[in-house]
Amino acid sequence: MKKKVLALLLSGCMVAGLLAGCGAKKEAPAGNDGAKKEDDKGGDLHFEVVVKSFQSSYWQAAIQGMNEAKKELGIDFNATGPNAESDIADQVNMLNNAINKNPDGIALAACSQDSVLESLQMALDKKIPVVCFDAAVPDAPEGSVVSTVVTDNGAAGAVAAEHVYEAVKDQVAKASKDAQVRVGEVNQDATSANIIERGLGFINKFIELATADGKKVAVVGNDLFVDQTEAEVVAEKEADVIIEVAVPAQTTVELSATEAANIMNKDNTIAMFGSNQVTAEGLLTANQNLNVLGDKIVAAGFDAGSVIKQAVKDHVLLGAVTQSPFMMGKLSLETLVKVNKGEAVEDIPTDGYWYDSENMEEPTIAPNLYD
Amino acid sequence: MGEVILTMKDIDKSFPGVHALDHVDLEIRKGEVLALMGENGAGKSTLMKVLTGIYTKDSGTITYEGKEVEFHNTKEAQDAGIVIVHQELNMLGHLTVAQNIFIGREFKKGIRIDDAKMNEEAAKLFKRMNIDIDPKETMSHLTVGRQQMCEIAKAISHEAKVIIFDEPSAALTETEIEELFKIINDLRSKGIGIVYISHRMDEIKKITDRVTVMRDGTYVGTLITKDSTKDDIINMMVGRVIYEDPKTHSTVPKDAPVVLKVDHLNAGKMVQDVSFELRKGEILGFSGLMGAGRTETARALFGADPVESGDIYINGKKVVIKSPQDAVKYGIGYLSEDRKRYGCVVQKSVAENTTLATLDSYTKGIFIDKKKEKEVAEKYVESLATKTPTVDQLVVNLSGGNQQKVVIAKWLTRDCDILIFDEPTRGIDVGAKNEIYKLMNQLAKEGKAIIMISSEMTEILRMSDRVAVMCEGKKTGELDISEATQENIMNLATREIE
Amino acid sequence: MANKKNNVGVRKVSTIDRLGGQKFIVLLIVIVLFAFFSIMSPNFRKYTTMVSILDYSYYITLMAIGVAFPLMTAGVDLSIGTGLVCYSLVGGWLIAFQGWPTWAGMLVSVLFGIVIGILNGCLVAIMDLPPFLATLCTCMITRGLGSIIVGGFGISWPAVSADGGWFRKIFRIQMESGKVLPIGFLWIVLIVVFMTFVLNHTKVGRYTLAIGSNKEATRLSGVNVRFYHIFAYVISGFFAGLAAISYSAIFATVQPGTGAGFELEAIGGAIIGGVSMTGGMGSITGTLAGVFVICLLKTGLPFIGLTANWQQIITGLILIFSVLVDILKRKKEEK
Repeated sequence: MKKKVLALLLSGCMVAGLLAGCGAKKEAPAGNDGAKKEDDKGGDLHFEVVVKSFQSSYWQAAIQGMNEAKKELGIDFNATGPNAESDIADQVNMLNNAINKNPDGIALAACSQDSVLESLQMALDKKIPVVCFDAAVPDAPEGSVVSTVVTDNGAAGAVAAEHVYEAVKDQVAKASKDAQVRVGEVNQDATSANIIERGLGFINKFIELATADGKKVAVVGNDLFVDQTEAEVVAEKEADVIIEVAVPAQTTVELSATEAANIMNKDNTIAMFGSNQVTAEGLLTANQNLNVLGDKIVAAGFDAGSVIKQAVKDHVLLGAVTQSPFMMGKLSLETLVKVNKGEAVEDIPTDGYWYDSENMEEPTIAPNLYD
Repeated sequence: MGEVILTMKDIDKSFPGVHALDHVDLEIRKGEVLALMGENGAGKSTLMKVLTGIYTKDSGTITYEGKEVEFHNTKEAQDAGIVIVHQELNMLGHLTVAQNIFIGREFKKGIRIDDAKMNEEAAKLFKRMNIDIDPKETMSHLTVGRQQMCEIAKAISHEAKVIIFDEPSAALTETEIEELFKIINDLRSKGIGIVYISHRMDEIKKITDRVTVMRDGTYVGTLITKDSTKDDIINMMVGRVIYEDPKTHSTVPKDAPVVLKVDHLNAGKMVQDVSFELRKGEILGFSGLMGAGRTETARALFGADPVESGDIYINGKKVVIKSPQDAVKYGIGYLSEDRKRYGCVVQKSVAENTTLATLDSYTKGIFIDKKKEKEVAEKYVESLATKTPTVDQLVVNLSGGNQQKVVIAKWLTRDCDILIFDEPTRGIDVGAKNEIYKLMNQLAKEGKAIIMISSEMTEILRMSDRVAVMCEGKKTGELDISEATQENIMNLATREIE
Repeated sequence: MANKKNNVGVRKVSTIDRLGGQKFIVLLIVIVLFAFFSIMSPNFRKYTTMVSILDYSYYITLMAIGVAFPLMTAGVDLSIGTGLVCYSLVGGWLIAFQGWPTWAGMLVSVLFGIVIGILNGCLVAIMDLPPFLATLCTCMITRGLGSIIVGGFGISWPAVSADGGWFRKIFRIQMESGKVLPIGFLWIVLIVVFMTFVLNHTKVGRYTLAIGSNKEATRLSGVNVRFYHIFAYVISGFFAGLAAISYSAIFATVQPGTGAGFELEAIGGAIIGGVSMTGGMGSITGTLAGVFVICLLKTGLPFIGLTANWQQIITGLILIFSVLVDILKRKKEEK
């Protein structure tokens, strides 16, 4: 008897564990059959969507975009995603399941570029078109990925650099070898392609602008970012401007904040950049005690969320760059519809938008500023 | 003879597959010590567990102080005044002596536990028992014997009317047993009913008034201790007269080859400058008091503890033993005093335990050859007369004596020439004890060399060809069996203490 | 003779043990680390950095105090990290999206923690599941459950200036000068004092240690082992709930799916502080010191300019060292 209860409980645990493993799997409401119009709309198309995870507002915004496409085109889709962006194996599993359902197309935001290759071959064999969004899969088998819808992360980082440079231009102009100024950048990790591109985009652009104004720049801190900087740099001693790049040991707000505080504490720091939501919030958390942002130090963030939006509104952050998850979601499904109709499609780069207290209410910006 | 305080009548208890108690009767009287005897597995412990509420009886009645009672847990039994001093030490090592004694019924001031009062009460208790233990001492810092005394103090502190001692003397030194008997006599004179479970016949004769004997879960009978002989009791227990004859002289030829020579061995405080020789076919008894360093010597020799200095020679060749693997390689087998912890894997079958040390010989590729394993295990079960239904039986279900035989089988499969038996019959009943003795004698006759560590004087005198005596980490003497007596061994064992 | 007799009954005990054992060593490590970082980095010894260290220590300390109890029963509670995030998400969601008052959201967080604690306790004490397995299950459950309930969004509890943001002032009060008063540490000290009392002078503490020392013996002593065993996990859950509140108060946003790994810092802190993984031993003050070893490292290493990978290595080495001292000492004692 006791054993039975135990077994029952164990299986209960396992089911719950499975549920947990699948994360907040949200079944999208079924297609609105009655209102569907046949002619130039999508017809009875059903797509599978696999996102990196549901664990941030960012992905929720992407799904919203897809729901918009669904409404406009009368198609149907089902979205899944692993618990966390690091659960690569889970995602591959979900992708394979999606392929086995034989949908009319798959929209994929791959957690890892390499681990989805086999699955993509499978999709190709089954002649299921795949659109990659948010993250490209450069080594995908020829013909499997019909289109890639991604933010140009390098450009998005550069946008932030332009605005930050504009704000600290005078201080940079006064900087010299004996009175160096410091710009800090906190990146969540040094492994994800998006983050690396963004971080480097900021660094390269900033150096380009400073060099144009006759200043010498050095990059210090995390080895990967130091090594991969393309723009011209000098040794730390020679520089007028130092860009210091920090990466926390773990991707928590707490450690991001500690890394940020370390740079913000330095007397010659004039600007800070946090290259995603976690690190941007890290800047703000560090600022709780230091109270220097928006006053002594100009800071810019990335992505949105209520906390960052409030900080932009309050001028603590100069502004932030937001991607357009909403548009990426919508464009992915639209592309899949086109493919099914036999139309030619190509890669679609989406922009990163700069927003600050001035423009954040504007209709082109506001829909991308998820909470 | 006092009035009856507790009667158990027609007690019946079955476990799946085992009829553990078959209509057993028991009568405990005030101011009397009742010995409860029987081989291991005879049902003594089960009966006591039924009495104290750990097990629920299937049928039968318990009458206590004129009323029929049934206890559902130990606390109810304790509250009614029936307490048990367990065979295994049930101590909470990290807590203090006083905290142990009053666990489950702490004195309180509001929600705060009143440790000061507990210490005071414990001190009073020890004073009454006339032993010297600091109530504030951490339990794990005490020796085993002292811990046992605390266990007894705990039982007494319950204002008990019935106290059950389940093999209390197993871990005690001779002096401590004397102290224990004083305490028991004192309790008896205060009108408390005492049940005393033990295998040691001399203790039974010395301290008890009546003996109730059980066999195979049934009640055999009750004797008045002073009117009966050892043999009477043993006959009731096993239904046959036993006992190997004690050795009066060594049977080992003087020129038998020395298989093991230990020269000035040092290993920590408990092994200081120990030297001895062991000959082929010989049983060398190691005697001494608890904590004399005998087990430590064996462990150092076996490579279980690091050796600081000294040489070991096997068959005349000098060897370095750094780990038990080394020792096994040189043909040394060690049978630990604590079977459950070191000797065997109790949750595994007899067969699996038998082949544990030599598994390589029973594997085909990466698979274990179950058939061969079984054959070997069955061979040893037969030759050692191990009582087990099948070799697939889990060792935990065997009695102590049979567990010991499984451990012996394990070492025999390795062809060990030197066997160290550490307290080979601890917790084993008389019948099985004798079988172990027979087995050891047989092994010696076959040419194995045996070191036997034992705290039981009778065992030392019965089995050894020679006796080495240790005291406080030093070897204080060596006696041939022909000249060894209780007195001169005791003399050597206490030499350092004065 | 009489003198000798006393010694016969008692084994030898090291001086360090008499001084308070592991606690003593850990306190030394804390002082050494603090001095080292202060000398190496001028920014480390700033008031604001101290406040940051305290800010980020509250949730780990609270979790560690809680998890010390299951550890002392020779168990473990792995569900506190993801649990913390789950409770914080649910509480914050009720406040931000359901219009509940802040105090109600806080209450729900703590109650949720207690419920999971009861579940853990029952699985371990009644169903006899190994604590590692049982709490691993609840770890996964809480991780999924939090996301499901709030719908996958990151949740922000009210900001300090917003309506209902008063709870953040429980832990940090911004003075007019701009300086922050880390008032949370006062509560931590009071909690440590109180829980030390609970551990050493009440039945709950006594039986927690007793169960970890020898469960069967405790049961045979007539103690309601089941109840107190469950209670240890309830304490753990309760403190995970408190930790959720402190986490929500210090950090802006709580992200679903995070929290795995928090428990290891808390368990690590407790063990460094002298809580025995095999049960039966431990102290709350030691746990506090142990947590500070971890917190000092987490803040100090970035401040002396070590990059991420080096931080991990150094942290690992120091943790090995701080536990090793205790183990070596014990081995020596056994000889």
